[in-house]
Amino acid sequence: MQELLGRITRLDPQASLALRVIACFDELTVGNVNTRGLLAAAASLAGCVAGFGQQRPARTVRVTPRGELAEPLTTPAGSPPAAATAVPAAAGTCVWLERTGPAEANDAIVLERLALAVRLRHDRRPGTPDARRHLAVLVDGTLPDDHRRTAAAALGLSATASHRVVVAPLFAVWTEHPGGPEDVVPTAHGPLHTLVVPAVTTQVQAGPCGVGVATTPDHLDHSFRTAVVALRLCARGATSSVGADAYAGLVSMFAEEPPGAHHPDVELVAAITAHPWGAETLDALVTSGSARQAARTLGIHHSTLQGRLETTTATLGFDPLDGFGRVRVGVAYLAWRLRTSRVLDLPAPTTGH
Amino acid sequence: MDTPPRPAFDPELKAGLAVVGGMFPPTITPDLIGFMRTSYASPPVEGTLRDRRITRVDREVPGHRGDPVTISVLTPHGTSGRRPGVLFVHSGGLVFGDRFSGIDLVLDWVQHLGAVLVTVEYRRAPEHPEPFPREDVYAALEWTASHAGQLGIATDRLLVCGASSGGGLAAGLALAARDRGGPALCGQVLDYPMLDDRGTTPSTHQFDGVGVWDRVSNETGWTALLGEARGGPDVSPYAAPARATDLAGLPPAFIDVGSAEVFRDEAIDYATGLWRAGSSAELHVWSGAFHACDVFAPHTAVARQMIRARDAWVERVLAD
Repeated sequence: MQELLGRITRLDPQASLALRVIACFDELTVGNVNTRGLLAAAASLAGCVAGFGQQRPARTVRVTPRGELAEPLTTPAGSPPAAATAVPAAAGTCVWLERTGPAEANDAIVLERLALAVRLRHDRRPGTPDARRHLAVLVDGTLPDDHRRTAAAALGLSATASHRVVVAPLFAVWTEHPGGPEDVVPTAHGPLHTLVVPAVTTQVQAGPCGVGVATTPDHLDHSFRTAVVALRLCARGATSSVGADAYAGLVSMFAEEPPGAHHPDVELVAAITAHPWGAETLDALVTSGSARQAARTLGIHHSTLQGRLETTTATLGFDPLDGFGRVRVGVAYLAWRLRTSRVLDLPAPTTGH
Repeated sequence: MDTPPRPAFDPELKAGLAVVGGMFPPTITPDLIGFMRTSYASPPVEGTLRDRRITRVDREVPGHRGDPVTISVLTPHGTSGRRPGVLFVHSGGLVFGDRFSGIDLVLDWVQHLGAVLVTVEYRRAPEHPEPFPREDVYAALEWTASHAGQLGIATDRLLVCGASSGGGLAAGLALAARDRGGPALCGQVLDYPMLDDRGTTPSTHQFDGVGVWDRVSNETGWTALLGEARGGPDVSPYAAPARATDLAGLPPAFIDVGSAEVFRDEAIDYATGLWRAGSSAELHVWSGAFHACDVFAPHTAVARQMIRARDAWVERVLAD
């Protein structure tokens, strides 16, 4: 895969290879891939042998970029070859890359993620506290309450204090990283970087990310689901985060509906968004108090907005600024944004060539 | 809007997709053909050939209508006498790729089995639609067979091998060689072959927007080749071998495919057709494998098994 990374860079010198390396190892972790598989991925990404050493019982595993076991070393089992710089992984273990010649651009990130993945795999022994599993349990609403309470206690969350769950894709950019329990949690939308923060933290300096509603630990599964909805409301490419609080009950409604729930007005909204002005005009209408204010938001003449409003009303079959029409168009607009959300896609390859 | 359920990707392969997606998007629309011609262009092969002690000679040979087409003849150093021969047909959805795309795994046969490899720069759609690609490949087969003595190839051990669109072209080549009384083939290796322009199998519809080569990509490739004729009644079985009604009397086939790719069902159907017609075929369906995972993620356990199974079959058919 080193050759593929090179191709990506040639296509787009600005492309972040680090996030692809991170996403790769997170998928390996979520998929419970074993040590040899982790080493094979590291070796393939780096283009050189990747090694794992364990002290008790003494054992060395070295894997080539083609995923084959390398010829045994003459050094004692459990130790890296003299030229390699090992980094600690799980207790009593280390990992390394056997680079001959100067280090290459991705060596550091590959080694860092390999060490993390090996630590998560090897520290998950029976009887060992396992923060990773606790967080996944805490946010899983299908589990009994007492399981989630045990997980909350194990994570050191007070039963009465209020918290929020924050979620972000693995490729999110963090300008500031809040403290607190965190982990990668598999979801229907792929693995999500998941954190628990105090309720007073309503903004997180990361993009894209979603901040859930504040709840006591008993209901953090709900906060998690609202955070996922908030994340999916982020516009693609935007660096801002979305807080579920901004939509409160509406996000909760989306968070609790079954997958594939039917929203009859969504098709009508989709038809409006087929106009070049559609999406931005709907956004202005649902976030403004009046048509005049919406026109100001859009920076267009009131009569231009009236024209769009007539088309919108005719397409919807109801007035989006009157009575329940406001609620209907608001719900349908959010449902449409969720249905067409691309925020969780990995950044696409550049098409500028 | 609803996507049907689909088998999961193997976890190691799913991780690989985080990297592969950066240069090979799941959904390739016609406007991405230019991007793919850049991103899928093969890297320089000189270093690889030197390390593997393989000699390369480029030739211009008559292609369809006698137009010049480039081929490369790859020969292991220091061999003499009559060798097994392999005609390689590259991948790239009929619209991108070149004669060295995905060739690494086939070079193993040159290096380890002493085979002479001929790879052809067939002309690509949409600039050169049906029948250019397949007839260029057929012309390369005829040239190879008629120059076997000069190339050191034993005519009773000539194999055709292709992956993806190259697999479809290889299968079509075997059909055409049978029907035209052309050169004899000792086997056909069809890796996750692109056989069916109709796009009607369940697997075609299971992987929209994920993995490598989805339904839309497949429509892009076939439309580039066939235009309006795609999916209609007048498509030649040499272009779309799934259309063939007679699969008797064909060389032994090796077919491999992933359970998690659009070509799964057409590959299985083709193997079934071969067996029913009394032809020999070996079929491997690799659980959780995405399209061409052996090329993109050869370090994974699934890809290594896939490569090993194929190499073992080829060794049986080709080795001295």
